[in-house]
Formats: sequence, C-alpha cells, structure tokens
Amino acid sequence: MHFRQLILRRSLEILVIFFVILTGLFLLFHLAPGDPVSRMVDPSMTPEDADILISQLGLDQPVWLQYLYYVKNFFSGNFGTSFHYGRPVVSVIWERLPNTIVLFTTSVILSAMAGVFWGKIVAWYKGRPIDTWVTILSLVCHTLFLPWIALLFIWIFGYGVGWFPLNGMITPELWMNPKTGFFIKAVDILHHMLLPLFTLFIIHVGAYLLIMRSSMLETLSEDYILTARAKGLNEKQVRNRHAAPNAALPVVTSVGLSLAFSINGGALTETVFSWPGIGRELIFAVSNNDYPLALASFLFISIVVLVANLVVDILYAYLDPRIRY
Amino acid sequence: MGFCIKHIVRTAAFLFLTIVCLLPAKVSAEESLLRMGIPEEPRTLNVWMASDANSRKVLSLIYQPLYTRDPETLRITPWLAQSMPDYDPETVSYTVKLRAAKWADGSRVTAEDVVFTVNLIQEFQVPKYHSKWEPVKRVVAVDLQTVKFYLKEPIATFVSRTLNNYIAPKKEWAPVAEKARDQEKPLKFLMNTRIEHPLGCGPFVLEKWEEGNYLYLTRNPHFFGRNQEINQRKLGPYIDAMLFKVYGTADVAIMALKKGSIDFLWSAIQPGYLENLKKNENTRVFINQKSALYYMGFNVRKPPFSDADLRRAVNILIDKDFIVERILQGYATRMDSIVPAENQFWYAADVPKYGQGMSRTERIKKAYHLLRQNGYSWERPPVDAAGKVVNPSGICLPGGAPMQKLTILTPPADYDPNRATCGVMVQEWLTALGIPVSARPMSFGALLQKVKREHDFDAFILGYGRLSLDPDYLRSFFHSENKNPGGWNMSGYTNPEFDRLSEKSVETMNDDKRQELIHQMQMIVMRDVPYIPLYKPAAIEAVSRDGFSGWEQMVGGIGNIWSICQVKPAPH
Repeated sequence: MHFRQLILRRSLEILVIFFVILTGLFLLFHLAPGDPVSRMVDPSMTPEDADILISQLGLDQPVWLQYLYYVKNFFSGNFGTSFHYGRPVVSVIWERLPNTIVLFTTSVILSAMAGVFWGKIVAWYKGRPIDTWVTILSLVCHTLFLPWIALLFIWIFGYGVGWFPLNGMITPELWMNPKTGFFIKAVDILHHMLLPLFTLFIIHVGAYLLIMRSSMLETLSEDYILTARAKGLNEKQVRNRHAAPNAALPVVTSVGLSLAFSINGGALTETVFSWPGIGRELIFAVSNNDYPLALASFLFISIVVLVANLVVDILYAYLDPRIRY
Repeated sequence: MGFCIKHIVRTAAFLFLTIVCLLPAKVSAEESLLRMGIPEEPRTLNVWMASDANSRKVLSLIYQPLYTRDPETLRITPWLAQSMPDYDPETVSYTVKLRAAKWADGSRVTAEDVVFTVNLIQEFQVPKYHSKWEPVKRVVAVDLQTVKFYLKEPIATFVSRTLNNYIAPKKEWAPVAEKARDQEKPLKFLMNTRIEHPLGCGPFVLEKWEEGNYLYLTRNPHFFGRNQEINQRKLGPYIDAMLFKVYGTADVAIMALKKGSIDFLWSAIQPGYLENLKKNENTRVFINQKSALYYMGFNVRKPPFSDADLRRAVNILIDKDFIVERILQGYATRMDSIVPAENQFWYAADVPKYGQGMSRTERIKKAYHLLRQNGYSWERPPVDAAGKVVNPSGICLPGGAPMQKLTILTPPADYDPNRATCGVMVQEWLTALGIPVSARPMSFGALLQKVKREHDFDAFILGYGRLSLDPDYLRSFFHSENKNPGGWNMSGYTNPEFDRLSEKSVETMNDDKRQELIHQMQMIVMRDVPYIPLYKPAAIEAVSRDGFSGWEQMVGGIGNIWSICQVKPAPH
C-alpha cells in the first residue's frame, strides 16, 4: 500500500470514528434523565416560565432536530452557547485551555523524562535492592488516589510548612497591585504550579518508570546488546547509547497519548487545587447539564486524541515499513 | 546515577529558593480588604441570566431591591425605597417613594429606572423574574422619585415577593434591549449579553474580574446607605474593597480560613468540620437558623400512598429527632410543618407533631393500630397477641391485595449525604411495620425528572435550602392547579378546601387575616401529609477571628447585605 493511501485511509477511519463519538456524546447527554432547567428554577417560577427558558435554550425541539442543528452548527464552527455562562463555549474553552496545557503538559514531560531515566537505571541493576525498592515505590505511586495525595500535600506543604500557596494559579493580592511586574507575575504562577506539578509528577512517574523498566529488560536481552559489549564498549555506553534509546519507544508512544489526554486536565486535580482549567469546567458542565459546554469540551478532547493517534500511526508507518502492509 | 539525582535535586532546590526570594515575603493587602472564599467562580454577572449561587452572591452587592428583610424581625423593610409603599385599594395600586440614590457612575436612580426594569422583564418575559412581576398591569413614574404600580388584582405577596427584586439602570440596559428587539430570539440575546462591569447602586462595584482566578470589588462611593441609619443600623460599608477567591474543595477552603488567607468563607459548612474550626483560635464560627425545608414527599396520585392514613402512619414511624441528632449531628431542627418554626408569624404552632417523644416500639404500635383500624392486614403483624413488637410480613392493603414493593427516591450521597442517609433510615423504620420499601439514590437531575415531570415515583426525599420567608410557597406546593407535569405540586395533592383557602390567602391584604388562613392551610396539609417535613439544617459559617467584626446574624446566616454594610476591620 502506498504511504499516501495509508494516510488517506486512516484519516477516513478517524472521520468515521469522530462521527460516532459526536453522535454518541450527543445522545448520551440528551437522552440521560434530567434537564438543565430543573436546577435553574425556584418554587416561585411557574411551569410556563420554565418552558420559556427551555425554549430559549433550544431544548423544546425534538432530539433528532436538535442533533441535526448541532451537526450543522458544529461544521460551521458554532459549538453553541453555554447555558450558564451565556457566551460561546469556544471562548470558555480557549480561556481555560492554556492553564490546563501548561500544568499537564509540563507534568507529563517531566515525569516521562524521570521515568525513562530511572527506569533504565533500575533495569540495569535488575534484582538488586535498588530495583526492588524503586519498583515497589513506583507501584505505590502509580496506585495512589490522586485527590487524597493532593489534599495531603496541600495540608503538609501549603498549610503546615507554608512553602506553597493553598490553591489557584495566582496570588490575587499580588496581581491587583499595579506595581507588580511581569517577571514577578510569572514567578508567582510558577510558585502556584509547583505543588500540583509535584503531585502529578508523583502520580505519573511510576507508570513511565515501570514501562521503561520492562522495555529496557527486553532490550537488554537482544543480540545487538551482546554485539555492543563484544565490540568492547563500556557498560555506560551500552546502556545509554544502545539499549535506552530503543527501550524508550513505548514510553514515547505513551507520552504522545498522555499529552493528548492531558488537555482534559485531570478534573480532580484541577478541582482540589482550584486550578482554572478545562477539567473543572467539565465537572461543572456535566453536573449542571450544561450540554453545549460539556459536549464541546469532550469533542475537543476527542479531536486531539484522534489526531494524536493519527500522528502516531503515521510516524510508526514511516519508521517501520512493515506496518504499511 | 548519583550525579544525576544530585543534579536534579540541586536544580529543584535552586528553583524553589529563587521563587521564595523573588516573591514578596507576605503579600500585604490593603488594611480593609475583605477576602471571601467561594466554592465556585460566578458564571455570569448578567443579572437576567445568573442562576448559580455564586453569581447571585456577587450581584447582591451590586444591584439592589426596593425592599428587603430586617435582619432581626424579618419584616419587610424599605431599602432602595424611602418608606413602606402606600396601598390604594380603590385603584389597586402601590405607590413607592425612592431614596435619593445614585448609580455607581454618579447618575441618579429615578422612577424611570424602576419603570424600565418592570417593562423590560414583562416585555422579554425574563424567566427568573417574569412570574414575580406578572401581577403588575401598569407601572408609572409619577415624578423623578415616585413610582406607582397598578395591579391586575389585589395580591398579598406583592411587596414581599415582587418588590424585593433587583432594579436595573435604564442607561445600562436600554441599548441592549434595543438591539435585542431586532434579533430572532430577543430574550436569548438579552440573557447572553456579556456585562463586564455591572452598573448598580449597591455598596460595591466590580473593579476587576480576572476570570478563573478572582473578583475584586471596591466600595461604591455613591451607595445610598453610606453613613445613613437604616433600621437602627449605621451603614458603611466600612471596608474599602472585597476580594472573592475560589476554593474547589471545602477542605482547602477551611485550611485557607484557618491560615488566614481568607476572612470569610461564604458557603455552608458541613457539621463535620465544626469541631475542628471551633478548636482553632484563628476562626470564629456562626450558627444560625435557615429558612429551609427538607422533606419526604408522596405520590398521592396512586396507591398505596393515595391513602392519607398510610401517610400518617409513615409520619409516626419516622424518628425526626434521630435524624437531627444522629445524621445531622445536632446542627439542625426537626420540622413539623411546611413553614419553619422560626418564621414565627406564619408558623402554625398547633400542627400535629406525629410521633414526637415516642420510643421506637411506641411508634410501631401506634402506626400499627392506625393502619389496622383502617383495614390494613398482615400475615404476621408487627405486634403480636402479647403486645410485643416482632418482625412482620405480608402486609395487605384495605382491599386485601398485597402491598407491592415501593421505592423512596433520594439524591445520591455525593450530592447530599444527609438526604441519602435519611432515605436508608426511613426504609428501616418502614420495614419494621412490614412496608416493603427500599431507598434508591439517583442523580439529582434524574430524580427531578421522575418526580416533577414524569410523576413516576412512590415517594422521594428532597429539600429547599432557601425557602422564601413569605409562605406563599404553600400554594405552589399543594394547590391542585400546580399538579401538572413540571408544576411544583409534585405529590399531585388535591384538596378543594386547601385550594380555596390558598386562593383567598393571596387576595387577603390584611396580615392578621392572612396569617389565620396560612395557619389553616398548614393544619390541612399536616392532617393530609402529602409531604412529611423532616428537618432544617443550621446555617454554619466561619470567619477569621482577627479579620473583621460587626457581622449581622440573621436567618440564613451572616452572608447578607446588612453584614457587608457593617463589617469593620477588627481592632488589633
């Protein structure tokens, strides 16, 4: 199969998958019991007024018609207006997206780097106490319950020791001061970011380390490692130049997908740290039946994940010609 | 390896130290900056759109109503209005005189603004306010400071239910309304218009909203209450500014309060945190009554709960004191009527108090005798021949048909653990009489859909955290015209006598006569028990001890306009 044909076929497949996701999500939200109006009303509001509200939100039409409108609007770039914000959902998402990206992308990259580094070391020292202890520690980190550990860290480092702020992304008192310069504001964001970053690092690093460790162990049994040693290369060169780059491939794939998924910004992390990202908006949108905001957020995540998949597929096909057949 | 780990640790330490050195050691804000913690960021400051609690909190400091409630007596009291309205029965009209107030930009608040607000709501049918202003036939600006409301018919709740709504400035909204009229969906346009700096006449104005992070409000120099004595209270505000910070979880918000990062957590605190807060020397806790109602409702449209005797028996079986003392840890009050007892003027003190002071055995016996007298039977009765309470089985309805399995719908524990636990307890108490019932938690939206729109349920447990002080909700909850899908009479209760009294109560302009009618209505409802009032949680709030003083406690808590106008930095 020609390389271009493969790309075309995969793109078409992804388009179909996207349509299935779009339809599935739409139905999931609209057919689930409960309506967005029920939470907006109080006993003094008459059913007639509630109906006016329903009609304003466009929910008085049959579901299939709402679906057709939704698809039509979607392809014309109109994702709808949030029921609670009263403004286009795209603007809400764009506003929150950078906050999520900056936190989660940094955490994924840092933990992957550390995971690769320590993974290769512990695999090299397989069977020794360092391997046993680091593997156990990684498993513990990997299975930690995120909100619990996040609260614990806030309690220890924020409340107890006082090294870090308790929540949010900035210190309002500092930002309100017109004398505060750009540099100090940037440092302030970094200061707020450290604790959530550390928490996410602890949660993610274990997984990357374990992937790297097992991949490294497999690689170390390959013939070319033996050849490298036979050539008289020292152990460090064999480990870092010959084994590690090959062993890191599965981690790279995992990082690629994690980066794509990271834009949904662990909803729980963002809630506990009051980090103003997409994850927190998602929780609000879903729990308050703000369909347009919830749908758009999920669709946005789907698009990024699908595109990331496509890129990974193409890269693999490029790197390994066997995949094309 | 050792080198690399050392390197990483060294870099991290350097980064941390750099940050610590660069940032000011302590961010000293202005002396009289009141820092508030809120659980969620406001969604919008468009007054017609805002439906979430946090938007409403901020808006309540900016837009003001003509009348409000006195914090002590809870009586309606003039606020933006100068005096109580004059009612003219002949023309069925109310005349309201405005204070000499100014909008935050210095322009005058005039009768024209009031007329504009009412006309805007009526023209666009703004959902949240439309039904409130619906009784008004015509509104006229008599002069710059006097406005006259002509009503379609006399309505007793006009002042308490209608004149306590916000007045918006014409200059802010007239251009928006003009544009909206040209749109295909005018109301949608009006509600979706983004208001970045709402223009109000309240004690504060929005200075800055850093979305996702904080809101900063400063004192409105033109606030009409400033240095005025209203209801024997000399109003400020005595603080320069307010800062709203968002705390995603209650745990972190409490830590912030204890640490002094915020001065007031404007959100209900669960009783579980109370001991911890009380022990902390930096915090001060306020516990106030709430105007609220948490209740169990029945579907009286179908058997078995169409039978009032069965509903009464259930009421006897429910141990409200247990709910208050054990589930709500004592921070609640039992309720025996739909109107809370603290609402003294309207509360009917002589409503029947089912099962009060009885032991579990006494409840079972009393409920058993009540049902047996009314034709219920058991294969194995809950009380044996010797008068001992035993495990019953095979309960049958008066016609002899076995009682089918029943369900009590409750919100899930993550939404409200108290109501979910109440469901489980009620299930246990009813099972003791042989009633085959099970509690079923379901998502709040789904629950409302089943109960309010589809009427597909046996019983449910719900509540109102903010019940208005005027008991007109009795009519909403139990008048038969509200029992259609979407209506507030979710039980489907029908009683012509109640309907007649409730209609009369709306027309009765004399408070004492209306009080009598409201009492009668409560007696009827508590005799027929379509709802079993269960409890009313206390409003638990906390402030930092060193921060500010002068909080005004009232029903609902200290988060009210009176507090905001009176708090002062605490003397050090």
